[in-house]
Amino acid sequence: MSSKMKNGNNNAANVMAYNDSAIRNNLSVVEYCRTSMAALSGCTAGVLGLTGLYGAAFYIFAVTSLWIMILCKAGPSSFNKYFISRQALLTNGFFGQLFTYILCWTFIYGMVHVY
Amino acid sequence: MTADLIVDPQIRFWVFLPIVVITFLVGILRHYIASLLSSQKKVEIQQFEDSQLILRARFLRENAKFIPKNSFLIRKHAFNKENEGYLMQKRPAVTPNMMTDPSMMTDMVKGNLTNVLPMIIIGGWINWMFSGFITTKVPFPLTLRFKPMLQRGIELSHLDASWVSSASWYFLNVFGLRSIYALVLGENNSADQSKQMQDQMSGAAMAMPNDPKVPFKAEWEALEIVDHQWVLTHIENTIMQSDN
Amino acid sequence: MANITSNLETLRIWRENNDRKSREIIEIWINNLVLNIQKLGKEKPQVLKQVCIAALDCYNMGIARKCIEELYRDFPKSLRVKKLEAMYLEAEEKYEDAIEILDGIIKHDETNSGARKRKIAILKAQNKNAEAIKELTDYLKIFMADFEGWQELSELYINEQDFSKAAFCVEELILHKPHNHLLHQRYADIKYTQGGLENIELARSYYCQALKLNPKNMRALYGLYLATTAITTSQKCSSQKKKEAQKLSEWVLEQIEQQYKDVSIDNVEKRLEALQIKN
Repeated sequence: MSSKMKNGNNNAANVMAYNDSAIRNNLSVVEYCRTSMAALSGCTAGVLGLTGLYGAAFYIFAVTSLWIMILCKAGPSSFNKYFISRQALLTNGFFGQLFTYILCWTFIYGMVHVY
Repeated sequence: MTADLIVDPQIRFWVFLPIVVITFLVGILRHYIASLLSSQKKVEIQQFEDSQLILRARFLRENAKFIPKNSFLIRKHAFNKENEGYLMQKRPAVTPNMMTDPSMMTDMVKGNLTNVLPMIIIGGWINWMFSGFITTKVPFPLTLRFKPMLQRGIELSHLDASWVSSASWYFLNVFGLRSIYALVLGENNSADQSKQMQDQMSGAAMAMPNDPKVPFKAEWEALEIVDHQWVLTHIENTIMQSDN
Repeated sequence: MANITSNLETLRIWRENNDRKSREIIEIWINNLVLNIQKLGKEKPQVLKQVCIAALDCYNMGIARKCIEELYRDFPKSLRVKKLEAMYLEAEEKYEDAIEILDGIIKHDETNSGARKRKIAILKAQNKNAEAIKELTDYLKIFMADFEGWQELSELYINEQDFSKAAFCVEELILHKPHNHLLHQRYADIKYTQGGLENIELARSYYCQALKLNPKNMRALYGLYLATTAITTSQKCSSQKKKEAQKLSEWVLEQIEQQYKDVSIDNVEKRLEALQIKN
């Protein structure tokens, strides 16, 4: 997790100022986590020999658990300090990483189970 | 899952794995060759000035509410004044001529050297070397529509659609390794073939920024319709209320 | 060897954060790195540049000279090294030679903003304010979106006491970074100094904005107090406005007191202690 923070001003008027570069840095760190997660969970699914809908369910499970882990790391209450939107963190790149997942899944599944 | 087809385990070590390794290593190699060949682009000062101008106009448009109305109008006038405003000035149309500009030429050659050439050579080589193998099976069912996509090089009408041929496995790798490269080489790497193919498709659009008239016109229009609302009008009251 | 990696790590962090820790950098250089120049690896040019600038900052010309020579050996034609050499000459107050080098760089690469900025800095160091302003306005005609350029220009104008132009520059800065409270405060300062009822009312609004962004901005609190007092004592002002200003100034006084209350007494004593000269 990045150590950089945004500088926010929680005034009563609810002005939130985000540091643009810090936000971008946070998002790229999350993106990195997500790619690793997709690759690792893809390999896991391959080794376990999951097929069909089980694999898709496993992917959804992995994405959600990563999301929860990020939330815990950021702290449930201080979440707004690091990211703008909670939902976008879950949904962003959901399909982009799906491809990585499928590739790893197919690769390991092919290595272990097909032959 | 019962395998309806038994695949020779030799294929795993001599076809399936080599394709992954080759695609991956070629990507890494491309990255380093591209960074070796890349030349720092020299920006024309005029072009630079134009981009800075547009940037400043955008800042003005977005954050105009933070400065007093008078100051905003002065700036808007400077940008949009007829004939003399920054955004109205005439620029000689720059049409880069490829044949006369040798640096453009070398850039093109370098681009081709790292993009198209390996694509053709490696793709063709893999097609020739590993043609006709069934390499793997995707672990989920697919409809018949995917057959031509996944079974390139194998024309068997009764084969289940989830089997993948070697040529298709190569292409799957080319497109799927994108985020893995981002993991290994960091962002903005040049290992990614698919992205560069998209760039080439939109090559016609890339020549556009050379002509500043179009973005100038767009910025001029956007600035014209900005309605200035000073956010500080009643700030004294809000700040006093906020603390009570 | 492990020592070197950890040192490089520290240097990298300082470089990325733009910390000005010149003395510490020089210390690391002298103690650990100077004998291991060849072991710096990939980061060698960056480290040398960092050390060179730090050395110039501390007026340690020997080290700076060595760094530049080392860099010249690796990159004999590099414009960046030339810029460092110009900075070296600048530190030695050989301004003419430095400008000559910088002109060479600009001629070679017209978009080199760093060299142009150094030239302006030299003019400023020579106390040629008017010329620096002229050069800087020319610079900003090309590099219109350069935040630092506008900031420098506003300071130059303040030195020349040309407040309306300085205000223009600060407006430009606000457009760039509308969430920086110091900019709003600076704008209000300028407007207050300019005087006149309208400007002071503007100053009041901007002090308020600065406080909204950062309620602990002491200077803005005092500025707001001064501005409101000026409004209440003004002749031309309507009584309605005066009443509002009166209310605001009372609120500000309350805030100031609150701020001082928040800082506990022993804390203040400690700070005063820190200010004393120790033998």
